[in-house]
Amino acid sequence: MTYLPLWFIPLFPLIGTILLGTIAVVSSGAKKGPSEGLVGTLAVLFPALSFAVVAILACTMPEAGLRETLCNWIDIPLFRADIGFLFDGLSRIMLLFVTGIGSLIAMYSIGYMHGDRGFARFFAYINLFLFSMIVLVLADSLLLTFLGWEGVGLCSYLLIGFWNQDIKNCKAANKAFIVNRVGDVGFLLGMLTLVTIGGSSILNYDGLAAFIKMIFGANMVSEVVLPLSLAGALIFIGCTGKSAQIPLLTWLPDAMAGPTPVSALIHAATMVTSGVYLLARLGLMFSMLDQVLLVITFVGMFTALWAAIAGLLQNDIKKVLAYSTISQLGYMFMAAGVCAFDASIFHVFTHAFFKAALFLGAGAVIHALAGEQDMRRMGGLINKTPVTACVMIFAFLAIVGFPGFAGFWSKDLILERLFVSGPIVGPLVYVVGLATAVITAVYMGRLIIMTFFGKYRGSKESEEHIHEAPAVMLFPMVILAFGAIFSGYLWADSIGITFFRDSMASVVGEAQALYAASNAVSHVNPVIFAALGTVAALGGMFIAWKVFGHARIIGVKGASTVPEGSAASWTFLWDYIHCAFIAGVNILAWFCDVVVEKVLQAIQWTLAAIVEILGDGASVLQVRKVRLQLAFSIAGVALLVMLVVFSGGLV
Amino acid sequence: MELQAMYIQVLALVIFAIGIIVAISRRNLFFVLMGVELALNAVNLSFVGFAKTLPAEASITGQIVPLFSIAVAAAEACVGFAMVIMIFRNKESVDADSYSDMKG
Repeated sequence: MTYLPLWFIPLFPLIGTILLGTIAVVSSGAKKGPSEGLVGTLAVLFPALSFAVVAILACTMPEAGLRETLCNWIDIPLFRADIGFLFDGLSRIMLLFVTGIGSLIAMYSIGYMHGDRGFARFFAYINLFLFSMIVLVLADSLLLTFLGWEGVGLCSYLLIGFWNQDIKNCKAANKAFIVNRVGDVGFLLGMLTLVTIGGSSILNYDGLAAFIKMIFGANMVSEVVLPLSLAGALIFIGCTGKSAQIPLLTWLPDAMAGPTPVSALIHAATMVTSGVYLLARLGLMFSMLDQVLLVITFVGMFTALWAAIAGLLQNDIKKVLAYSTISQLGYMFMAAGVCAFDASIFHVFTHAFFKAALFLGAGAVIHALAGEQDMRRMGGLINKTPVTACVMIFAFLAIVGFPGFAGFWSKDLILERLFVSGPIVGPLVYVVGLATAVITAVYMGRLIIMTFFGKYRGSKESEEHIHEAPAVMLFPMVILAFGAIFSGYLWADSIGITFFRDSMASVVGEAQALYAASNAVSHVNPVIFAALGTVAALGGMFIAWKVFGHARIIGVKGASTVPEGSAASWTFLWDYIHCAFIAGVNILAWFCDVVVEKVLQAIQWTLAAIVEILGDGASVLQVRKVRLQLAFSIAGVALLVMLVVFSGGLV
Repeated sequence: MELQAMYIQVLALVIFAIGIIVAISRRNLFFVLMGVELALNAVNLSFVGFAKTLPAEASITGQIVPLFSIAVAAAEACVGFAMVIMIFRNKESVDADSYSDMKG
């Protein structure tokens, strides 16, 4: 049986990028922008075509996956890399929601970006992002994944700073880019470590798996576990940068400066989950690195808890969602840390639906209120924008883990896997995860209550203009809301559906079996966890209703959406830590400056001065007459000849 | 009587000495250059003289190299004369002792 070529998938967004980029460049000088209908059609068409290809391949794919080597990329002595694609159970799931949600959000953006001068430019960036993301997911080697990894970083930068008239947006974009670079250095060094251990062939995922199996076969685990741990830890640093985990998480809340569809697509559904994807992709390697896994678990745990607490203190609707994204990513990392890669990717999958729905809903609210993002000036919108409210409430129920909704299945699965992962760490992490689930329900409940219930707190004249979003925006939101409700049923453990796990088993099953073999896992009844998770969700919602349902929230007049006072230091604690780190680096740089610029140069200058004095002395010998000069030269040659003759020549 | 290699070397030495003495002692620049050329050709002659002492096949190689040397010397003489003429236009003199601008 022949299959569609894999390179079709990234091809379509690439064509879209080139076409839309050309339109954007050509029309940049014109007084009126290009036709929005044409640009919008193109922008949705290409991701949708890509999605169609993925869907066809997903249905026809053989169990072992498809592999395709396009061409040779680098071929130098000691290093060889090919451009190749790998389509298996893991990249199938990722690609399905990347292209699917990407198409939906592109469609939503037609309504959201209506009338913006950079309309074509925006969609060119979106298509470029989808191309890079597809390359990241579809690549069959770490090196090509890194190419996509950098590509999505670039698009994230371009889109955060999309409204570049405002210096604040540019600064946020710079911050995201620079913080990501810190992580990328880790990724690069990790790859270099891997190459040092096993040559360039283990950059390929299949090659790496074969290498790990070879190690197990030859019983040499203890020899290579240390360098492999180093490689794993370095790659994990890359993942913390991209997926906004401790300590590189400060860029994501600032990244909300970009247009809301961008926040939904890049900073909630797809790009930030690529760190989780990478961990799952390298699952077999990580499953033998116990220390690294422990670090991943705790980093995920602290991130989830901290971001949930920070989310409680935000007033900006998008910032709440940003912290909630970080918190949910923390869950995914916790799951990856106990080698529950299928549960982790399942949460990525469901999270993509409900968080994209939440962000698009927030975008619709902001759109309705003409750019207002401060929740203290919202309220009572359920009457004005009922569809948006319903979408957001469904997504809210999904994220808090209300029984039956998507988040319920995936989050409880993660918590269950955490609990059974080990004797002491497991229950500890489980308790923190459960507490985080309660806090999640509280701050998400606060968001819903402040936005949609109570009385409108904005100014009277702005109340007149509140309107429901156009259909082109509502349609993707409704689809995503359905996803938020039903996507969890792909793996409903309590009622015995394990479709999702089976489809992932060919990729990560081996790694998980390996981990389970070395860590005693007792089977427990999933219903207990489901019940506890439900209690957590309901408890959190109850607290939110008690605290915020009747509280009088003062509608502020000023423009500030940043929390003040002690709340600010809570929220931006990591910025201070970064500043301290940067100060340390500055001191080091100052030291280097003194050593290199001052001390070394002083030595150079001294040497130069000595040589100059010697040269001045030698130039005295240059006499006036040319003939005498010639005589000196000949005498010098004669002297040299005699030296050679009498010393017996150079040996 | 066979030509002795030694005599060729002596002749080359004499010509080389004459060339050097001319280059040093004459003040007219053209004579200086002529002296240099003479010394150069003396070296070529010496080269051929040594080549003659070798067996025939190796000797050919030795006799070809001076041809290159002569070609290079010709090119060098062209440049040298051109420079002398340019300097002469500035200085209105062919006296080597009046060329002392290079003094440090």
